[in-house]
Amino acid sequence: MKKGMTKFELLTCIVVVLAIAVGVASLLMLDVTGKGGNRLRGDFVYDIGDQVVVDPALILYDELAESIKTGLEATRAIAVDNGGNVYVAGGAKVVVFDGAGQQINKFDFGGDVGCIALGRDGLVFAGVKDHVEVVSPDLSKRVSWGSLGDRAVLTSIAIDEDYVFVADAGNRVVVRYDMQGEVVGYIGRRDEDRNIGGFVIPSPYFDIAVADDGLLRVVNPGAHRIEAYTFDGDLEFSWGKAGSDIEDFCGCCNPVNFAIASDGSFITCEKGLDRVKVYGADEKFVGVVAGPEQLIGKGNAAVCQTPAQCQSGGFDVAVDAAGKVYVLDTIKNVVRIFEAKGGGQ
Amino acid sequence: MKISSLGKIFCGVVLLCAVGAVFGAERFPPPEFDSGYQQPTMVNPGARSNVLEYVDVAVLVAVMSLTCFLVYKKRSRKGIFWLMLGSILYFGFWREGCICSIGAIGNVVLSVFDTNYAIPLAGLLFFVLPLVFTLFFGRAFCAAACPLGAIQDIVLLKPVALPVWLAGTLRLFAYAYLAIAVLMAATGSAFVICRYDPFIAIFRLGGNVNMVVVGGCMLLIAVFVGRPYCRFLCPYGVILRQLSRVSRKRVTITPDECIKCRLCEDACPFGAINRPTAEWAEGDYRVNKKRLGVNILLLPVLVVVFGFAGYLLSGGASRAHVTVRLADRIYAEESGEVDDTTDASVAFRGTGMTIAELYGNAAKVQKQFVFGSILAGALVGLAAGVKLIRSSIQWKRSEYEADRAGCFSCGRCFKYCPIENVRLKKLSEQC
Repeated sequence: MKKGMTKFELLTCIVVVLAIAVGVASLLMLDVTGKGGNRLRGDFVYDIGDQVVVDPALILYDELAESIKTGLEATRAIAVDNGGNVYVAGGAKVVVFDGAGQQINKFDFGGDVGCIALGRDGLVFAGVKDHVEVVSPDLSKRVSWGSLGDRAVLTSIAIDEDYVFVADAGNRVVVRYDMQGEVVGYIGRRDEDRNIGGFVIPSPYFDIAVADDGLLRVVNPGAHRIEAYTFDGDLEFSWGKAGSDIEDFCGCCNPVNFAIASDGSFITCEKGLDRVKVYGADEKFVGVVAGPEQLIGKGNAAVCQTPAQCQSGGFDVAVDAAGKVYVLDTIKNVVRIFEAKGGGQ
Repeated sequence: MKISSLGKIFCGVVLLCAVGAVFGAERFPPPEFDSGYQQPTMVNPGARSNVLEYVDVAVLVAVMSLTCFLVYKKRSRKGIFWLMLGSILYFGFWREGCICSIGAIGNVVLSVFDTNYAIPLAGLLFFVLPLVFTLFFGRAFCAAACPLGAIQDIVLLKPVALPVWLAGTLRLFAYAYLAIAVLMAATGSAFVICRYDPFIAIFRLGGNVNMVVVGGCMLLIAVFVGRPYCRFLCPYGVILRQLSRVSRKRVTITPDECIKCRLCEDACPFGAINRPTAEWAEGDYRVNKKRLGVNILLLPVLVVVFGFAGYLLSGGASRAHVTVRLADRIYAEESGEVDDTTDASVAFRGTGMTIAELYGNAAKVQKQFVFGSILAGALVGLAAGVKLIRSSIQWKRSEYEADRAGCFSCGRCFKYCPIENVRLKKLSEQC
């Protein structure tokens, strides 16, 4: 200690040195890279625990014990023909299974298949990245339609008597083709005069189907609804709303896929909180085919955290003439089959 | 093709109209609450926030102008004190410490090194205007306009004088901090001045707990040691010090001729009053001459040594850059050093970028850090060397003077001068 230092000066020195030590320690302990997490209280955690559990009374379907093991990787789309054969797209291939789950045919499209649909005479329509390919069942005929551009990401195909509709998630539009593959129109482009707000598609899930009422149903996933368009592109009506309740569509962009049953009801598939649900022809919620607990497992249901997770993981669904629901589990790459309880539709 | 002024105006109007035509689309649903919480109605942010930036610039100019008036014309410490309180309230608590001239260093540097980054005009003005004022009037900005300086100034209750050698040595931290801040901003790593602003959490009445503690400690130190952040850490202060040395006007302790009464000798809690110097004795002169020679020779050595130290630290420093950190993490995952993943590493793998590309980008950043760290180290070495040289020179002073570089223009010393008290008629000339 310096000679002549007063008590006050000594005390000051101690206080200043302590303050410097505490300040430096605080700085060193500062988490600048975010390793310590956000440190928010539990109240702020996005907890979907309640939504994972579905009231058993709402579950109207039973899952059959046997599922179809596709043997494919990265399965993406499913379709069922009138004969009960199941078509599954995965990677560049489309594999056909009969009702017993035996492989009966196989197509290789040479590029990732994003969607499939079945036309007359067993023609298989496949969306391969940016264009449509049409193949006959015996592979004797194969036609490639023109590319929709670099941004195109084809996610769904719906076929009517005279037209083929192709959902392009990249360009956020539905393209209407004639049967020869010529583009005859576009549906869903933003147009204020026609009261069309455009499609909000954050992830590559954008499904369409033609209903018996002659209107094209298009999922607007970011808006959490299904919209009905005339073939000329007029928006007639829409249904569905965002929410975490069972009758709503949850997450950033749902439903990801849907199918229309022969009685006009809608079977919808949601990702994130994986749910397959039934809505009547009047668009009212009817019940659940399978909930997250059944589809993913109780502890495994989780919201996506990364772009890679959010861009994938959506299940696809198809329904046959008898009302059997085929859910393509894109995680396990199997087709899970559900029948209405009591055998009814 | 040249575009006429009229054309530019037309394009500007068209762009503004286009912005106005943008309309929102329904996107994410709002969260649902069971507590009965009512979602507030979304409204468009008003244009007032942009206008406020320029109001801030106008207030800054007004405060610095008023400071000059109070320092040079009125010589009023009381006025400066109230102005400081006003700055704490306006720039500190109301504007929440942002925008700030000190932090603007990072924005200015980044705008120089990154062509994709444009500094807001208000930010540029906040950086430049205090420098211009300093060139003419000394550190008017530090006197009352800077909320960081002001908050330290008003808590200075029991000042303790630091030895000159200690204060001079501690000032090197400010040079080091400036060098690090410039390096981090130039490489796009971080705005460290803003990140480690010790008072921002106080002004915002909340923030990171660690920074609240740092701010509290700094204020506690400021009770005894005058403006510790301004004197020993402030990177902007380093620039202002150099400009203040050549300022057109300078603060004088006495309004008239100094009578060397020594009453002001200990008046400055910042050690910014220089005493009159006596002629060196012949022996001292010879010793100091030798010391000057040694220190001049030492200057390049210090530059090289500190530059080399910068080189040695460059590897660690480069981890401040997010690309280098990510590359390190991916390397650890790839080589099996770690078993888990992080959000950043998972997100990286989802981007489609190859690991080789990432390593390449990280290597580029590391090269920048090597070069920058050597320069930063050399700058600190240069500052240390110049300080040593300056200490070996006899500065001739015939009266008590406010140190041109170190004086904050706070006006504390005025009242200690009997000539000033005579001017204020608090003392008669006979006294």
